[in-house]
Amino acid sequence: MRILLAEDDPILGDGLRAGLRQLGFQVDWVRDGVAAERELVSGDYNAAVLDLGLPLKDGLDVLQALRARKIATPVLVLTARDAVPDRIRGLDLGADDYVIKPVDLHELGARLRSLVRRAHGQMQDILQCGDVLLEPSARRVSLKGEVVTLSTREFDLLHVLMLNADRVMSREQLEQQLYSWGYEVDSNAIEVHIHHLRRKLHPDVIQTVRGVGYTMLRSQTLS
Amino acid sequence: MTRRHRLKSMQARLLALLLGLVIVIWTGSAIMTWVDARDELDDLLDGHLAQAAALLVVQQARSDDDDGVADAPVLHKYAPLVAFQVFHEDRLVMRSANASTTPMTSKDHGFTTVRLNDGEKWRVFVTHGQERDVMVYVGEQTASRNAILWAILNSMLLPLLLALPLLAAGGWWAVRRGLAPLRQLSKLLQQRQPHGLEPIELHDMPLEMKPVADSLNGLFERIDHMVASERRFTADAAHELRTPIAGIRAQAQVAMGAGDDAEQRNHALQATLAGCDRASRLVEQLLTLARLEAAQATATAPAPTMDLSAVVRRIAADLATTALANHQTLELDALAPCMVVGNDMLVGVLVRNLIDNAIRYSPTGARIWVSVTSEAGQPLLRVEDSGPGLLDADMARLGERFFRVLGNEQPGSGLGWSIVKRIADVFGARLNVSRSEQLGGLAVAVHWQE
Repeated sequence: MRILLAEDDPILGDGLRAGLRQLGFQVDWVRDGVAAERELVSGDYNAAVLDLGLPLKDGLDVLQALRARKIATPVLVLTARDAVPDRIRGLDLGADDYVIKPVDLHELGARLRSLVRRAHGQMQDILQCGDVLLEPSARRVSLKGEVVTLSTREFDLLHVLMLNADRVMSREQLEQQLYSWGYEVDSNAIEVHIHHLRRKLHPDVIQTVRGVGYTMLRSQTLS
Repeated sequence: MTRRHRLKSMQARLLALLLGLVIVIWTGSAIMTWVDARDELDDLLDGHLAQAAALLVVQQARSDDDDGVADAPVLHKYAPLVAFQVFHEDRLVMRSANASTTPMTSKDHGFTTVRLNDGEKWRVFVTHGQERDVMVYVGEQTASRNAILWAILNSMLLPLLLALPLLAAGGWWAVRRGLAPLRQLSKLLQQRQPHGLEPIELHDMPLEMKPVADSLNGLFERIDHMVASERRFTADAAHELRTPIAGIRAQAQVAMGAGDDAEQRNHALQATLAGCDRASRLVEQLLTLARLEAAQATATAPAPTMDLSAVVRRIAADLATTALANHQTLELDALAPCMVVGNDMLVGVLVRNLIDNAIRYSPTGARIWVSVTSEAGQPLLRVEDSGPGLLDADMARLGERFFRVLGNEQPGSGLGWSIVKRIADVFGARLNVSRSEQLGGLAVAVHWQE
């Protein structure tokens, strides 16, 4: 899951980035409101963690601008402002969750997963496409009840595909969702990971739509 | 008002003054009337005495031949108070019933006041008859005059005695009515909640009450500002502490979750420590600010003077190692003693913050120049650096609590400037931030008043 972290405090930003990465998130970190808005407008993020007291542009202004541009990326506001009117204003301006600092990393991860899940219209944490089950919180994948060991990238790719089940995802879309900036992305990395997933799970688990991209079907049956 | 002083009711005071004044004026006019009436009465009655004597003289001349003593009948209730005698060749020829047989006075002409044998004081008029050997004495008891005077006075004083209670009641009512706005004000103040600092508004406020209400409102406004700024400060401080604590927590959790990744764990632990240092620095600065506020609030005695140069040399020596570690050059020009109004500790904090900021926000290899001089007799401390300096907009916002210049990686709370500004205020020094002409970075000047 690709997350944008907007936090101006160096120690907290660094800690959240490292911690969320440990929990399996892809994290991009920006330090001011203008950069946060730019990235959220142009980038393809599953969710954002937004500090309110950001330099250059206040977090609430960023949120308002995003919603005005019909960008529906789930936003979790992480702030020191705990007054009830602040919370109400944050939520009314389009925040999906409002968390007061300091926050437990695992709770933050769970809240982000919950936001992403809800954004995809799912009620439960567990994703299912036919015989393939994926539990984001436990980072566990099973095929017909048997646990399959996947690498971090493979898991994330499968996660993105299953979150967008029944939709065709282009290679660019998948890349954007999976990689933070700064990572050298091999031109055929996605193909390699798809290949590995097919080998580890089932050759037909991911369908290729020639010239468009890849998809997984919710009702697929694997022989 | 302390307990030792008796609480005096303004209403009772006004009433007492009013009634006292009425009594004094009334009594004064009564005395004047008394004196006036007495003089007039004396003139009038003396005239009557003289007139009576004249009549007796005429009478005596006509009945000169009668022998024996004629006694006049008592014809009026006042008659016993009036007496006359007529002597011819020292022989009593005529007298009123209440007159003695000896002459009333030894005086042989005009008015006199004597005490007669009956013990009463008499006003007596003596005159000769048509012949030299006839003496006519006409007397009147002075008590009768006093009785008239008392009657006049009573007619004046009695109404006053009756009027006084009425005046007191009326005065009480009028004063009470007049003081109603005061009572309204005190009632308003009594009903106030401890945090109720909105301005007082009275209906039909009298002119005299306006200064009181205005000063009270001014006071309320100042208290309100103070309370608001304290509240904001506490809230800001709590918020500012939340972020470092959140950072420490996140980094500690990262270290716990690092597993086999020793590099990541070390990094997270280092960051945890840095976060702790920053939080404690923030707490220290908050305490300094709080202490400064207390010092400012209680500063009444003039601060002693101290040698600014010595303090600057001491702080510069302390911080030189940090500058050296950053490969920065710290130059000092503070040789001559320079006395300023201040306190060693507080001025030390100010100087330390300024030099520390210069070191912190200047890059490796930068020059930092500190000088203590005297400009037109006024001590001047200058700290300049060759760092990036500040944008004009940022310069204007310096000193706002928790304002931090964007884009610096240095752990700062934004409180340093607040502290510098506050200390300068305490000692009446003026702060000036500009671009350094010789080094190109930031130049901070602190002007002390002579």
